[in-house]
Amino acid sequence: MTLLQAKDIVKVYPNGVIANNGVNLTVIKGEIHAIVGENGAGKSTLMKILYGLEQPTSGSILLDDKPVTIHNPQAAIDLGIGMVHQNFMLVDSFTVAENIALGRESVRGVALDRKKAVADTEQLARDYGLSVDPTAKVGDVPVGMRQRVEILKALYRGAQILILDEPTAVLTPKETTDLFAAIRSLVNQGKTVIFITHKLREVMEISDRVTVMRDARHVGTVNTFQTSIAELARMMVGREVFMQVDRPPVTPGQPVLQVHNLTFTNEAGRPIVRNVSFTVREKEIVGIAGVEGNGQTELIEVLTGLRPPTSGSIQVEGKEVTGHGARGMREAQVAHIPEDRLTNGVARDVSIADNLIVDRYYREPFKRSGLLDLNQIRRNGEQLIEQFGILVENGDQPVASLSGGNMQKVIVAREFSSSPHLLIAAQPTRGVDIGAIEFIHQQLVNKRSDGLAILLVSADLQEVMKLSDRILVMYNGEIAAIFPNTPDLTEEKLGLYMLGAQRQSAEEMEGLR
Amino acid sequence: MTSTPRRTPPSAPAARLIAPLLAAVFAIGVTFFITYRIFGGETLDAVMQAINDRQTEANDFAAILFINALVGISVALFIVQLRRIALRVTITVVVALIFGFIMTTVFNLDSANRYIRGEFRVSVVTEAEVIEDEAADMEYGQARGDDFNRQGVLNPISEAAYTFAGRQGDLINVLAYAANRRSEVDLQVELIAPDGTSIGASNFATDEQVEQFDDLQSVNDAIIQGITLPADGLYTIHVRPQDLQTGTILSEALTNTRGAYEAFLLGAISRVNRWAVWIQDALTLILVGLAISIVFRARQFSLGAEGQLYFGALVSGVIALSGGALPGWIIIPVALVAAMTAGFLWGLLPGILKAYLNANELVSTLMLNTIAVRFYELVLTFQLQPPEAGYTASSDYPLSGQLPVLVANTQVTIAVFIVIIAVIAVWLLITRTPLGYEIRTAGSNLKFANYGGINTKRTIMLSLAVSGIVAGLAGAHLGMGIHRMLILNISLGLAFEGVVVALLARNNPLVIPFTGLLYAYLRSGAQFMERDANISFEIVRIIQAVIILLITAEALLAFVQSRRKLTTPAEPSTPTTTMESPRLIIESSAGEKKNV
Ligand SMILES: Nc1ncnc2c1ncn2[C@@H]1O[C@H](COP(=O)(O)OP(=O)(O)OP(=O)(O)O)[C@@H](O)[C@H]1O
Ligand SMILES: [Mg+2]
Repeated sequence: MTLLQAKDIVKVYPNGVIANNGVNLTVIKGEIHAIVGENGAGKSTLMKILYGLEQPTSGSILLDDKPVTIHNPQAAIDLGIGMVHQNFMLVDSFTVAENIALGRESVRGVALDRKKAVADTEQLARDYGLSVDPTAKVGDVPVGMRQRVEILKALYRGAQILILDEPTAVLTPKETTDLFAAIRSLVNQGKTVIFITHKLREVMEISDRVTVMRDARHVGTVNTFQTSIAELARMMVGREVFMQVDRPPVTPGQPVLQVHNLTFTNEAGRPIVRNVSFTVREKEIVGIAGVEGNGQTELIEVLTGLRPPTSGSIQVEGKEVTGHGARGMREAQVAHIPEDRLTNGVARDVSIADNLIVDRYYREPFKRSGLLDLNQIRRNGEQLIEQFGILVENGDQPVASLSGGNMQKVIVAREFSSSPHLLIAAQPTRGVDIGAIEFIHQQLVNKRSDGLAILLVSADLQEVMKLSDRILVMYNGEIAAIFPNTPDLTEEKLGLYMLGAQRQSAEEMEGLR
Repeated sequence: MTSTPRRTPPSAPAARLIAPLLAAVFAIGVTFFITYRIFGGETLDAVMQAINDRQTEANDFAAILFINALVGISVALFIVQLRRIALRVTITVVVALIFGFIMTTVFNLDSANRYIRGEFRVSVVTEAEVIEDEAADMEYGQARGDDFNRQGVLNPISEAAYTFAGRQGDLINVLAYAANRRSEVDLQVELIAPDGTSIGASNFATDEQVEQFDDLQSVNDAIIQGITLPADGLYTIHVRPQDLQTGTILSEALTNTRGAYEAFLLGAISRVNRWAVWIQDALTLILVGLAISIVFRARQFSLGAEGQLYFGALVSGVIALSGGALPGWIIIPVALVAAMTAGFLWGLLPGILKAYLNANELVSTLMLNTIAVRFYELVLTFQLQPPEAGYTASSDYPLSGQLPVLVANTQVTIAVFIVIIAVIAVWLLITRTPLGYEIRTAGSNLKFANYGGINTKRTIMLSLAVSGIVAGLAGAHLGMGIHRMLILNISLGLAFEGVVVALLARNNPLVIPFTGLLYAYLRSGAQFMERDANISFEIVRIIQAVIILLITAEALLAFVQSRRKLTTPAEPSTPTTTMESPRLIIESSAGEKKNV
């Protein structure tokens, strides 16, 4: 039974970009409908139209076969359509429970009843199996939990159709499994789920049907059981995609990053990173595996100079750089792809070209005799946009006008182009499409073969295993194990260490640091 | 990985030329319109006449034309820079004006009441012999009167009756008239015979009658002419103001409002000296707006411009006053540089407090403002005020300490050039310098700036300090250009006005000249409305406040939307301009002005 239908949707943004060009989407009640497509194919735009955040230039939306106009998100919520955005929209300074209760309470104009909000949140979390900490401030909780908060918020507002825009991009494999369980239980309770992802494995695993978009158009909708990853990839990209990267064996060279007994204690006095020591050498990719929240985020912030360590030392190419700050680390040729692209990686309302020079604007050739060389900045922007396939007309546009994956490409472009000696990459392919993943992976491996030292942190265990030469497992702020990435290393084995069930002794790790 | 974005077919070259073309047309139009109005305005002949009269001051004409051309250019910049937003700003201003018009009309509904209000007299004019009667209120030839609907009294009267003794056969005329020129009361009168019957009534006088009877002054007065009394006895004259028709009330209100609005909208360009008031005020507002825009770009809600301005005025004033025999070309640059330095330092202070001690910049600048103002008053009262002066002010600056005027007998000085340089400098700072890049980036996303290696503490500190340089200049302009002495309350909340100017311009330094001029135009227009039109001071303030409120609301709306964009992924965005600013506090302050 058809529940929601979008017909011949055309969306032209004010800057002239055609994001949807005659898109059709039919969603059946009670199904899990996946939407896939390259970065900038127009997926988020279509969802925003269904959720009333954007108005279609032409085309119609039918709900239960009746035409509806959705002027704003409130109208969508009233129609039972809820959405969880690709980029979060929570109030950082509020608690989880307050954020969940907010939308509804403020509509009623009643002062927020905190006790009730907490109770409701706990109830909801239990009902759908999405665990959250109701009293924690959203700004303090890990991304994975924020995601769950967003979903609960939509459910709390009475969503019957739940739109999830790349929900799994920020999740650990375990969290993804939990989320899928929750989605299944939602569907069993009669809800309908539309979700966007770039991970075709997930599509195969959970969806009933798949809609593929390419270049603002609707390529087709197929039943999941009748298709395959390869076919979907072909439909999306229009060519064969190679999911395997070619990682030629090379011998690592001189140490580039040397970390000794690094400890970081947070403001509350809790040790987050404990006594960590390791080395990353030239021509080597070192992956850090671990369940989110085991100190990886803080470790990276310390290594990139965003936070001072509590004790321990960091050396880059033999030079002491402990406590040198972000500028100091960048001067030491350390590039950084940050984990949370919106908070750290870009300034949304600044132009793309300007976003691409944040680490080098004060140097030649961008600064000449005291002034910025605008031509140079523009040329640099054009060149990187071209080279990294960022889908945009020109670099004058604000980053805000890019699709999520293209924002990520801006960051990758900037960091790759800074000719680093050490690259610290956290979730480098989060939210980018398969074609771009292929590109970024290949780039990482090529640069490593050319001599770059890379420290890779990813929630995607397969990505870590695919790219790394060595893998460190972090558990509870410590390095629990180090493995050379040999073919006999399995996800299961890593999992034991990631969950703290096993631990190598100092002697076992010694030769591998 | 080669994909190109899909676009609508490139717009025809004609479409892309629309904004610059419109801009050029408006620029030229505005330039000529202003020039035309201030030199007479009615007919071209009158304008030529006015210009010819000023032939001896041909330089003035050139200077005025030059400045008007600058006004035109600022209009053009406004259109070219803001494009679609410019239309929005314009619509807001127009809506605000219409709203103000309606408000004024409502206030003016009262204005027709002058026809039922005021002192009046009645008298009986006759050739007949006077009859004396104790019981009567008046006798032939006498006048009695009172005050209808007087405001502020406990029991205002709206009707009056007077008796007189009459004799059968006497031929009389009964007059009711406004007692003096100020009273416009529109009267009606009725004569009642001793037996209670009405024997005559009138509510007007003809022009001939006004001519004939000295006491009558207008057709609003009333006369019952040529009544022969039917009997002996006490006659009664009933007099009261004519009832007001709704039509009269409305048309009176509209006429008055139109008059007021004409003064409001065209007052500032009705003659050269008024034009000069507008321009000089605009120069101040542009400088303050520029100062505010810098801190807003860094998303610092600093109102320090006020205090920096006081210090700028004080320091430049002291130098101007103590320059002695030194020539102007030494004193003026020294004074200006000193004012800028003072502003810089007074901005550096809250900058350091914010960056390194995390003191809220709004609180700290407001406190520093108070200190600056008090210090200024202290120095002014105890050091600079000449002993013989009757009021608190310094003595006049020597000529060498005054900014040379461009237009004789006005306060339009070379500050015009200072402002041009300031606009270009701030624009260069924001768009072309590393510091400007740091300010923009830190203002857009502080975490990103930190991540990129920008020293954001230094950036925040410098943004406040650099803003102080411009605010200090504004102070120097107030002292050396406008007042040519230091007076108390030299600013009265100009920083707040600067907030409106900056917000309207979306913190774009190239648009600030326009918004400064616009805002000054409305401010000076309000002054002239108050002076020219029959409208009270408070109402002018209210209208001004309403207009400011609407305009600010619009600017605020844009700000709120830009905030929403930060949390909402990819809202429809405005590609060229984004507005950066913190929360807003607005206060409409009534700047006292020197009379023109
Ligand atoms: N607010 C906006 N203004 C202008 N252009 C926009 C805006 N939002 C998106 N676009 C453009 O519309 C196109 C489609 O964007 P959309 O966000 O729908 O892509 P997407 O399929 O969700 O991609 P991703 O997988 O990267 O999230 C892109 O070219 C993007 O640059
Ligand atoms: Mg998207």
